[in-house]
Amino acid sequence: MRRAPGVSGWRGADVLAYVLKRLLVALPTLVLVAASVFFLMRLIPGDPATVILGDAATPEAVADLRVAYGLDRPVLVQFALWVERALAGDLGRSITSGEAVGPLILARFQVTAAIVFASVGIAVLLAVPLGMLAAWKQNSWGDVAAVAAATFLLSIPSFWLGLIFLLVFGLWLGWVPVVGYVTFAEDVWGALHYIALPVVTLALIETGVLIRMARASTVEVLRLDYIAHARAKGVPEWRVLARHAFPNAFAPTLTLIGLIMGSLLGGIAVIETVFTLPGLGRLLVEAIFARDYPVIQGVMLFIAVIYVVVNLIVDLLYPVFDPRVTAG
Amino acid sequence: MRLRASFLALAASLGLGLATPAAAQDTLRIRLNADIRSTDPGVNRDANTDGLVWHVLEGLVALRGNATVAPMLAERVDVSADGLTYTFPLRRDVRFHNGQPLTSADVAFAMERYRKRETNWRCRGDLDGSVTRITAVETPDPHTVVMRLERPSALFLTTLARTDCGQTGIFHRDSLNADGSWRAPVGTGPFRLGEWRRGQFIELERFAEYAALPGEPDGLAGNKTPHVERVRFTIIPDDAAARAALLAGNIDILPDARTRDLRDLRARPGMTVHSSPSFDLQIILMQTTDPLLSDVRMRRAIALALDVPELVRALTEGGSRPSRAPIPVGSGFHTPLMSEVPARDLAAARRLAQEAGYRGQPIRIVTTRRYEAFYEIAVLAQDMLREAGINLELEVLEWATQLQRYTRGEYQMMAFGFSARLDPSLSFEMFTGPKATQPRKAWDNPRVQAMLEDSMRETDRARRIALFEGMFRQLMEDVPVIALYSSTNNAVTPAHVQGFRSWAVDAPRAWGVRLARR
Repeated sequence: MRRAPGVSGWRGADVLAYVLKRLLVALPTLVLVAASVFFLMRLIPGDPATVILGDAATPEAVADLRVAYGLDRPVLVQFALWVERALAGDLGRSITSGEAVGPLILARFQVTAAIVFASVGIAVLLAVPLGMLAAWKQNSWGDVAAVAAATFLLSIPSFWLGLIFLLVFGLWLGWVPVVGYVTFAEDVWGALHYIALPVVTLALIETGVLIRMARASTVEVLRLDYIAHARAKGVPEWRVLARHAFPNAFAPTLTLIGLIMGSLLGGIAVIETVFTLPGLGRLLVEAIFARDYPVIQGVMLFIAVIYVVVNLIVDLLYPVFDPRVTAG
Repeated sequence: MRLRASFLALAASLGLGLATPAAAQDTLRIRLNADIRSTDPGVNRDANTDGLVWHVLEGLVALRGNATVAPMLAERVDVSADGLTYTFPLRRDVRFHNGQPLTSADVAFAMERYRKRETNWRCRGDLDGSVTRITAVETPDPHTVVMRLERPSALFLTTLARTDCGQTGIFHRDSLNADGSWRAPVGTGPFRLGEWRRGQFIELERFAEYAALPGEPDGLAGNKTPHVERVRFTIIPDDAAARAALLAGNIDILPDARTRDLRDLRARPGMTVHSSPSFDLQIILMQTTDPLLSDVRMRRAIALALDVPELVRALTEGGSRPSRAPIPVGSGFHTPLMSEVPARDLAAARRLAQEAGYRGQPIRIVTTRRYEAFYEIAVLAQDMLREAGINLELEVLEWATQLQRYTRGEYQMMAFGFSARLDPSLSFEMFTGPKATQPRKAWDNPRVQAMLEDSMRETDRARRIALFEGMFRQLMEDVPVIALYSSTNNAVTPAHVQGFRSWAVDAPRAWGVRLARR
């Protein structure tokens, strides 16, 4: 992996230059993603006009709708027009709803982001200490219990866990509403209630993944000579763990957190469907079913940008935890 | 222990505040399984869109519960002796949601937009040639609209009233932007559009000045008095979550309960299941140009190998009646002849298949998991046909792909469903026509097409029934499709919802419904 410039010995200008360079390098990736999504979607059978008209689609009506949406033009012309508009910041309008795609994506992303940041945050706070403690007490009952819990959480499908939570906390106990959503801007307290179950569901699932990673990397680090050396010097165990083992052990977990964030921010369609949340994942899935090309293209491009940005942030954070990672 | 108790108390206190959310006592909350496409009537639409629009907009005429047509914004409909002139005297008490009175100029304005090619109104083709052609819309005075037709048609009023045509809803010109594009509906319906939060809900508000007709609610016609201040259509895509929402009291009407949930829901105190036969059609299509299936003996063999009553019983748990006729059993045009379902005959099926030269080669049936009934029909058909030595292979596709294959006629067999057709001519028309110009049509029989066109022109009920029975007999001879059943709409409401009724179209009506929450 290419490493970010280290914090020590680098000036702010260096970091900025590094960030700009990374973003420039990402441009070909984004173009490739945009082109692949555009052309692949057109290779998939089914088109928006047919979906909209359904079982009563006459050839004339389909042709009329295709003209209305510009789908009658050659694919290359459609692509060129889309790129031209995208470069000007216009991702087009949804064929299904007529909404502008850019604002639509941002609105839906807010919902997904709120859940993902909260759930990954909780998962990290739970999993990293648990994983490290399990590694520290390797082969103890605590370790076995932590590994078993992680494996159990990993094995549960998120939709099943979500439905069970709905049943218990929404239906039986009546603590939270089963359906609905309000934004934080409208009602902070209400928003917390509506996202509580999806956040807990997602956090538990991701906790399983992160516990295993944190434990494995800590086990590896604890075997290294410098840890034995620190112990030989009489450094207290808590300090060995926190000061010496944690930075090195956390680095691989950080990479995984980056990947998880990138993946989840791109949409948590199952969670969003079960909990009736108007997020990015549901938008993408519905757009694919409806062959809503502008929305699919916009969302996929947005997801690619998320991956680029999240990975960049992870790379920039790397030196904070692993001093060996410095020069680019 | 104390900590746990505190947590529970805190959680309970947090929850209690929100488990009874903003839904006020006077808001009727209805589940919607997907967002609407637009509010533009009959343009960018689907069944959910139609079901929302009919609360806001009304047409000159509307469908009754039995699929006949009744006046709505028109006081009555006067038809000239030659069937070419329709005169609609308008009701004088009707106002739009913006307070303006309804006039003939408004009707003419709306009709002009519908008839423009660039509007992309779904039914423009029907009223511009295929059903009939409107040659003029005249407004002799502010309260009278006259429509002139090129040729008489039994389907003219039905087409105006069709839900997928947006009931040809009459809207005020304030519904449009300055450039003529659609903004939001300003109609005459019992509710006006409140807030549409995409992906979450659509809220309607009671129209206080709504001019209700006397009498009882009847389909989309009759008395449509709104009794609740607001209606909120909450979008809940997942069926299990929707059921949980009903049981948790987060919605008041579950309009589309799954068959498998009915037994449990019926057993719950206070829950009422409202069932009514739909006008849709579940069907198996056969491609009559396929080398194997072009032989009518092979198609008859397949039909004889199916135990249709058993298949329908298994799929609907006894909720629907098996019928080999495309005209729904709930229609006034469904005659006893059409109720006859030929018995399964495996020996005859084997013999016919053999005569057709069938040697066990696989026949592919296209289906999808998007609509569970389509998939289950294909699975059961595969099992039943196996007993007759016919090898059916399932080809499970994503819905948009299946739709495209259907539209292009690219299949051997297909488990399919047609949305509700409210006129019997349309029940045959949905799969009858020339394949050369309409590849989606399963039945290409010129004689039947002539009968179908006659049925669309003919206004005499008895003569129409005779035509439909003739077409049905021919259908049983040609077997281009195997009609199975019309599904049953099952809505569920808790005790505090009063006055709700399900009906033939699978979208609910909020007028006439009262809430008795304490």
